[in-house]
Amino acid sequence: MKRQILYWRAASLVVAAGFIVLWQMIANLRLVSPVFLPGPDRAWAALVRGFASGELWTKLLGTLEHMAYGWFAASIAGIALGAMIGSSRTMRSYVAPSLEFLRPLPVSAIVPVAIAMFGLTQGMALFVIAFGAIWPMLLATVHGFAAVEPRLYEVARSLQMSRLAVIFKIALPSASPDILSGMRLSLTVALILAVVCEILAGLDGLGHWVLLSARAFRSADLFAGVILLGGIGYGTALAMSTVEKQLLKWRPSGH
Amino acid sequence: MPLRDRTNCRSPEPAQIEFSQVTLELGGKRIIESLNLAVKPGEFLCIIGASGCGKTTALRLAAGLYRPTTGDVTFEGQPMRMPRRDIAIVFQDYGKALLPWRTAAGNVSLALEANGVSSAQRGEQIDELLNKVGLPGHAGKYPAEMSGGMQQRLQIARCLAQKPKALLMDEPFGALDAMTRQGLQDEVLSLAQASHATVIFVTHDLEEAIYLGDRVIGLLPHPGRVGIELMIDLPRPRDQLTTREHPEFLRLRRELFDFIKASEA
Repeated sequence: MKRQILYWRAASLVVAAGFIVLWQMIANLRLVSPVFLPGPDRAWAALVRGFASGELWTKLLGTLEHMAYGWFAASIAGIALGAMIGSSRTMRSYVAPSLEFLRPLPVSAIVPVAIAMFGLTQGMALFVIAFGAIWPMLLATVHGFAAVEPRLYEVARSLQMSRLAVIFKIALPSASPDILSGMRLSLTVALILAVVCEILAGLDGLGHWVLLSARAFRSADLFAGVILLGGIGYGTALAMSTVEKQLLKWRPSGH
Repeated sequence: MPLRDRTNCRSPEPAQIEFSQVTLELGGKRIIESLNLAVKPGEFLCIIGASGCGKTTALRLAAGLYRPTTGDVTFEGQPMRMPRRDIAIVFQDYGKALLPWRTAAGNVSLALEANGVSSAQRGEQIDELLNKVGLPGHAGKYPAEMSGGMQQRLQIARCLAQKPKALLMDEPFGALDAMTRQGLQDEVLSLAQASHATVIFVTHDLEEAIYLGDRVIGLLPHPGRVGIELMIDLPRPRDQLTTREHPEFLRLRRELFDFIKASEA
């Protein structure tokens, strides 16, 4: 079993290395003009240079900050609202149609509204990211709270547990697998929207960096930015799934 | 009390749990009709009956999880309006009644927390309760890592943590294999004796009812009402072999068997 996991991991590394080699070959053969496509060597050099000058650090932290604020705001609002809606059948039937209308609304349609309301500010970015990232969490939390085993509520009743105790000791932990998977999905949405907002509003971050590099035909810097964005996506997802595994270790394996 | 219970006339001791003319309708359907029942403190009462006779419903009424449509359920003379902590209920589906995200110790702790036991005292009580139900050394296990029998023991431990005056058990061993079942029957008998708690035990297993009970009540279905009442005067402590071979045991078994057959006809 363990050997198999190692084998797969090695295979995936080989594939990744293969892609990088292919990329280098395409760049060396000048199949695409070096103005548009730098090789991995030049992209790497741009990365190192950017970090050495400190500029990429600022951009990286800027994007992480936008992402984190929006995601936290969405998490808190999404879980609180989801808990309220999910734990009451009446609430669900009242609110569900409005949610169904708002949910498929493309977030890009919200951006002009947010700009009109907040201007090209950090507040705008926070609003847009939070608005986009709230849906996976809200819907997952509603589902998680609605799916609590009714028998557990009876156990709570016969123990005469308080409302607050029922929420924190029964409903929230029971919904936690759903909530956590909603949070994981929201993470990706938050990253996408952080970049979009930076591009649109010129906020300090990797989105802005990528945009300026492209306009100045600095393709190596552009690719350095894209690689970093990929790294953020990968890193945050990995961190989240580690947290998830730790919090959900009570679940029988195979889920 | 205007409504003296017929079944309890021979005892001057006041009933702990009493049903007086209890009728329950759920969704327009009459599940229980004019049920009269008095359970004395410390008594071990078993309720049997064909499926759909309302035995689980009767137990839920005693637990305060249902309220009667008409009539009264009282506990120590007080009308039952809602569940109370000194009445514990053991559900049949232990897999659903335990918190899967809490360890064995955590599940027992839930009841202690509800009872307001300080966190300093909880650890010791948890160990004691897990010992009592035969689960020493399993404190750190999650329910998913335990067998069915162990999970049901754990649920019983959590119920004992409530320090109940009455323990209501709803076909607790229905989903367990025969060997595990017999072991648990003996443990429940000794736990009941040690804690002096009243037990109402619902089962569809006639032999189990006779083996455990001081008294067995058989319900008739549609709507549920008392159809037979048998006093079990078999000697205690009961023994899986000798008690089950006792002529009185066999006579009672025959009588209950005929009752069930007639009620299903």
